[in-house]
Formats: sequence, C-alpha cells, structure tokens
Amino acid sequence: MKGEKLRSLSFFLSPMIAMVGIFYLIPLVFTVYISFTKMRNWNTEKYLSEIVGLYNYQRLFHMFQHDPMIRAILLTTVVFVGITLLINVFGGLLLALGTFFINESSASSIRLLWLLPRMSPIAVYSLVWYYFFHGSDIGTLNSILLKLGVVSEPIPWGQITPWGVWSIIIFVNGLVGVSFGMIVFTSALNQIPRELVIAARVDGASAWQISRKILIPMLKWHFLYVLTWQFLSLLTTYPHLFLLVEWDLVNRDYGTTLALYVFNTAFGRGEQDQGLAAAAAVLLSIIGIMGGYVTLKVLQFERMIHEPRGDVE
Amino acid sequence: MASGCIGGQETSETKITTVELSGDFLKDAVAIGKVLEENGINEVKFSAWGSGDPNSVMRVHGIVEAARRINKIWEENGVNVKIIITDKHYAAAFQDAYQEYLSKQPLGQAGDFFVNSYAFLPTLADEGYILDITEYANAYKSVIEDFYPSLIEASKFDGKLYGLPQDTEARPLYIRRDVAAKIGFNLEGIEEKVKNGEFTWSDVYQWAKKAKGNGVAEWGLIHRKGSAHPDLIQFIFAFGGKLYNEESKKLVVDVPAIYKWFYVEWKFAQDGLLPEDIMSWDWAKQIHPTIVEGRTLFDIGGTWYWTEWQTKDYYGKEGTPRPIKPDEVQKWFAYTLFPAGEKGLQPVTLSQPFVWMINSKAGQQNPKYEELEEIYHELAFLMIIKASDPDINAIHSVISAHLPVRKAAAKLISDEKWLNDLKSLNLDLDQEVKDNLKDIVATTVHPINAKFLADVSYMLEYTKFAPAHPKYPALADIFKEALDKVLRGEMTPEEGVDYIIQKVNADPELAENVEVIGEIPKDWQFP
Repeated sequence: MKGEKLRSLSFFLSPMIAMVGIFYLIPLVFTVYISFTKMRNWNTEKYLSEIVGLYNYQRLFHMFQHDPMIRAILLTTVVFVGITLLINVFGGLLLALGTFFINESSASSIRLLWLLPRMSPIAVYSLVWYYFFHGSDIGTLNSILLKLGVVSEPIPWGQITPWGVWSIIIFVNGLVGVSFGMIVFTSALNQIPRELVIAARVDGASAWQISRKILIPMLKWHFLYVLTWQFLSLLTTYPHLFLLVEWDLVNRDYGTTLALYVFNTAFGRGEQDQGLAAAAAVLLSIIGIMGGYVTLKVLQFERMIHEPRGDVE
Repeated sequence: MASGCIGGQETSETKITTVELSGDFLKDAVAIGKVLEENGINEVKFSAWGSGDPNSVMRVHGIVEAARRINKIWEENGVNVKIIITDKHYAAAFQDAYQEYLSKQPLGQAGDFFVNSYAFLPTLADEGYILDITEYANAYKSVIEDFYPSLIEASKFDGKLYGLPQDTEARPLYIRRDVAAKIGFNLEGIEEKVKNGEFTWSDVYQWAKKAKGNGVAEWGLIHRKGSAHPDLIQFIFAFGGKLYNEESKKLVVDVPAIYKWFYVEWKFAQDGLLPEDIMSWDWAKQIHPTIVEGRTLFDIGGTWYWTEWQTKDYYGKEGTPRPIKPDEVQKWFAYTLFPAGEKGLQPVTLSQPFVWMINSKAGQQNPKYEELEEIYHELAFLMIIKASDPDINAIHSVISAHLPVRKAAAKLISDEKWLNDLKSLNLDLDQEVKDNLKDIVATTVHPINAKFLADVSYMLEYTKFAPAHPKYPALADIFKEALDKVLRGEMTPEEGVDYIIQKVNADPELAENVEVIGEIPKDWQFP
C-alpha cells in the first residue's frame, strides 16, 4: 500500500519537483558554486574551474565595512522592501474589497486600469515616470506645479535624500506590484459563497463590517501567500530601479537596493564580476530564506498545511 | 590533410589551410580565396557589430563595403567565393553593445567584427575574446604606418596589436560667438591664446561670470555627463595630473589635480554658472538645446556634436524643434582646445578612438571551421584592412565629424572634388551602403563641415587618452559619483577627493590596481 502511495505521489509531484529542481535548485547551487570562483566577464572557460575559496565573501565584507555607499544601500533595501510590501499587500486587498462591492463591469475596468503598469514594457513604464518626476522644468510634475504657481523653482524630487528618492522608487514599484495582490484577493473573494454576504446585508451589516467580520478573516491564507511572495519578490526586484538609477532620475546611493547592487556588480560595470555578484546573491538568498521563514512562522503557516481533521485512513 | 580511396586505388591529397600574408592585398586576397575554394567553400558568412551616434553607421557599413571590394577582387580573378555579411547589428549606446558582446562571445553568438571604444580592448584582449593581429599586421606595415602612431598604440594591449583604429575625435571647448559678442569677449586669436596657455580656466570662469551677470546667457558653462564619456577627466590633464603610471602599470588617483578639477566645477556650480544637477540632465531635452539655442557661453563637447546638431532636432527657439544648418553652426560656434588649468600648464584634448576588433572565434559559423580557422582569421584581418581604406575612413569622418585615423584619409577630406563626389554619392560603393548613407550624406557633406574637421585636426597633437586598463571603468564610475555630489553641494571638493579614496580602498581589487599620489594643495586659489 505504502509503495503504491509513493508511486502515485511521485507520479503527480514529479513535474513540480523537476521544475523546482531545474529552475530553482540548480541555479541556487550554481550561484553558490560561482561565488567560490573567480568568474568574471562571462569567461566560463577561464574562470569556472578557478576556485578561490572565500575570497569573494571576504572582498564583499571588506566592501560592506569600508564602502561609504553600502550603508545607504542596506537602509534603502529595508525601507524599500518594507514600505512597498505594505503598499502591495494592503493596496491589493483594498482594491479587491473595493471592487467586490461595486458592479462587475466597473470593477473589471478598475482592475484593468491597475493591471496596466504590469502589462507595460518596463522601459516604457519607467520612461513615463522618468519624465513625470524629472527634477527640472521638463518634468511633468514640476511643470504643473510651476504653472499653478505652487513652486517657483523646479524641485529635484529624485535627489532629495533619502525620502525623495525612496518615495519615487516605492511609488513606481508599488504601482506595479499592487495588481498581484489585487488578482489573488479578487479571486479568493469570488470563491466566498455569496449567501454569506447577502445574509449579512439582510441583517443590516455595512460594507466595512462585512469586510472586517466575514471577508478578511476568510482571506487569511491568501494574505499570507501574497505577503510572503511579494516580500521575496521585492527583495530580488531591480529592473525599474535599474532604469531610474541609470537614467540619473534618482540618487544612486539611495536608489540602489541589494538586488540592484548584485545586478550592477555582475553585469553593470566595465569589468563584470560574476563571482563577487554571486557571493552577494548568496547573501541575498540567505536574507530571503530567513525573512520568508520568519514571515511564515509569525503568521503560523503550518496551521494551513495541517491535515484536515476527520480524514479516515 | 585529406585522404581517400578512389576506384580501388588509394590517393592522398594535401589541402592548404593557411596562407602566409605578404602585404600585397590583391595577392593575399586571391590566395585566401583560392584556399577557400579548394576546400569547397563558396560562401563565407560574417557578422558585423558596431555602435555609436546615429551618423556613425559606417562602423558597420565599412565592413559591408570591405566585403564587396574583396568579392570584386575574387570575381575579377576567377575565384568562386563570396563573402556575405549576415548580421549588421548597430546599437546606439556603445556601452550596451560592449555588454552584449561580453555576454554573447563565450556562447559564440557575438559579431565577427566588433567596433567599439579602445577602452574595452584591454578586457576583451585579456579574456581572449578578440584576435591578436600583431603578426598579420607585420606583413602590412605600409598600411599600419599610415595610421597616426598614437592611435595604433591605443589599439595595443600588453605590447600586442588587437585591432585597427576606426576613428577618433577631439573634445573642443565650444564658445558661442553671439553670446561672446554681447559681453565684449573678443574671440579673435582665442585658439592661439589657449594653445600658448595664456587663456586658462580662470579666464573661462571670468567670462562665464560676465555672461551670466549681464543676463546674456542663462549659464556660463554646460558639459557632458556620465563616466563612460571621459570628457571631464580632461581637467586632470589640464592641471598637470596623470591617470596612469607606466612603470607600475597602475591607475593613479592624482589628488592635487582631482582636487583642482573638483574645485573649479564646484565654484562654477556654486556661483550658478553651471547647473548643479548637470549630471542628471537629459541629453536631448536639456543639454543639446541649451547649447544650440545659445543659453550658455561655453560648452565642453565632442567634435561629433558639429554634425549631430545638423541632424537632430535640438533647436526649438522658433517653435517646432529643428536641426541647425551648417552655416548656423559655423556662425554661432568658435572652438578651441580644452584650456590649461592654470598659467604655465598646457591645454589638452581627449580622444577615445574606436577600433575595428576581430572576434577570436571569427568565422566559426562557416563550414570546416576547425580546419580553416587560420584562413578565416586571415580573411577577417584583410576585411578590416579593406574597411580602413582611406575613402571609407574619410566618408565616416565627414558624415559623423570624427577625425580620420589615417593620413591618406585626412588628405582625401581636403580634396574638394572628392567631397563633391561624396555629396552626390558618385563613389564606388555598395548600393546598400549608398542607400543607408543617402540621408546622412545629404545633411552633413558640406564644405563647412570639412573645414571644421581640418581646423580641429591639430588638436590631436595635444590629445590624451583615458588609461587602457581593465579597472579604469570602475574608477571612472567613482569619479562621476564624487563629482555629482560636489556639483550638487553635498560634498566640498576636499570631501569629494576623500570619497574617491574611500571608494577605491573599499574594494581590495581596485585598491591593488590604483595608486593614490599627492595631497590636497593648501592655499591654492581659483580663479
């Protein structure tokens, strides 16, 4: 019986295991391996077998200790991930709940609107915000404020450190990320039996009371999923940040997170140092694993995966 | 060696897979063609990658034209082989093109020919990504000797030649004649005064201040931005500093010169003569329009600006932005060397030659690559020799306002008849190349532009190069970050210099490759 169960389990789980192995496990092992080599400039032939032990980690920690920019990078990572995460999760929840109580056609239009940033090519989307927040009078925001007479000089938004920079990168990424939570929560809300809501309505409950007492408690596991997923995603995201920094819209120190630092080290400079970048990526992975674990523990993820009571062997 | 058994009788046939280059182009091209033909190759595929400003398309079409010229030689000599250029890849940003090449070369997907800044040559050579052509070039001494020697030196790494110069440029200080006239700034003989070191950055400051103070210009000085464009390190040379130590082979952080550079820029920015946020200005919407519309007295730019202004819609004073005309550029702009930092020092300019480089795997998309590797490489070398033909080089120079790299090309540019033929495209060129050049030629081939090139050629005698060192781009990046902070007033010039030293020392590998020399000068005055 046990062998049969194992066989059927293997059969159903093998595609997922293969996928996780190929796309997650092997790259992770490979990243760890590269971090112990002198790999640079993509020259696998020359460097991939040149093991240098902890050299890259020692170099990285030396840079962390002495580089005047690192403090800003670490602080930016914490603030960016923390605040954008709150916006993405609670913004998504708010949108899902908001559209739940209005008619379907309006709700669909609103959802589509919020999906646009995610559907736009990254370069185009970033360019829009580049011109919007540009620190001179060619910037849309400055131009409006100047015309309205609110300001007399253009404001260099992206150069006001740290909060001006942080506001822009959080705003731009928040707009992209909020749609993910919205979709998950909307889908979850659609699974809740309508009778519950109708009954509450009959009893005179307001939208807020229905949300607080019925809907939100039933979204707990989805909330947990979105929170963990978005946390890991934000920790490793960099494309929008890369462009905003590259185009000098935002201050480089306070516009760079650890993920962007890894990217720039691996691909951004004249000499592309993949060994050093891999060491930084391993560090980032450790932070991600620890952060994900803490999130799941705090929100008692294990309760969701308990076997349902009443099952008969 | 190929052997086989025909009709029961064993035969043995030796096939030649290499040719000793003689320096006689016709003879070598035919010999290589015959070897290919004998080995059953009738078609050789190559790809050409280039990058740069919109007018520099000859960086790719030069290869297309070279292929046509060799094909013609083969045809006339009964060699049944043809070169086909399969991929003509042209990217606007040369740094992006370099990064793409770097990632695709190990995969065998990068172009066979790669034109890019000499600044990337050391890394590419060090990694074995480009071909060492020293031996081939020895056979073509007569051609090599026609290139300006400093440019050949810039194409070397570790004493070996890794490419042929494709173009170079100077970075003049442009002065608006109309703005200068309004403040009584007499530009007569300014080039000589700058050459003699009589007109220094203190004078630039004084006139900039006057222009701004009198309200005739919004700014005194505008310059380029970014670290990959090494314009601003001219200040280091203008203050007698250096960036590289030939003996130790290390990069140099020359503290006194960098401090003076930062101080000058800081002073300009503090006094409102240079935008504090210039390093984040938009090229097309701010930097170029400010210059062509005469909203600044001085501008540090490149020679290529001259034709770029004639092809791009930067001038928006009359409403819809338009390019400016050759006579407008001539009327509005004077140009000189980058002045000396202070009296007693020399003016400078800076060049960043672009180089034809050959992929170390060139020709690998063709049959029998392993057997015929040497032949494919020799053919690739002949292609860049052909692409360096004086007329190809001269066309590129005229239409993109880059300086010619060969003496023969420089001579051609001053030939009025040849210029007229170029204007009407009455030249022996591939039709595809003509089609691609048509619009650019119509706009840029003009006696005024040819005169400009002739006028600025002397600047090469004063030229400096950014160090060809694999770690230089990382150091240049740090310079840019520090300067940005100084311009914005976030750091004083002293703090800017300290920041550079801290950043260098934070990376043990960079620190190992960099020497910090000198100290911040006390009691130094500017202006």
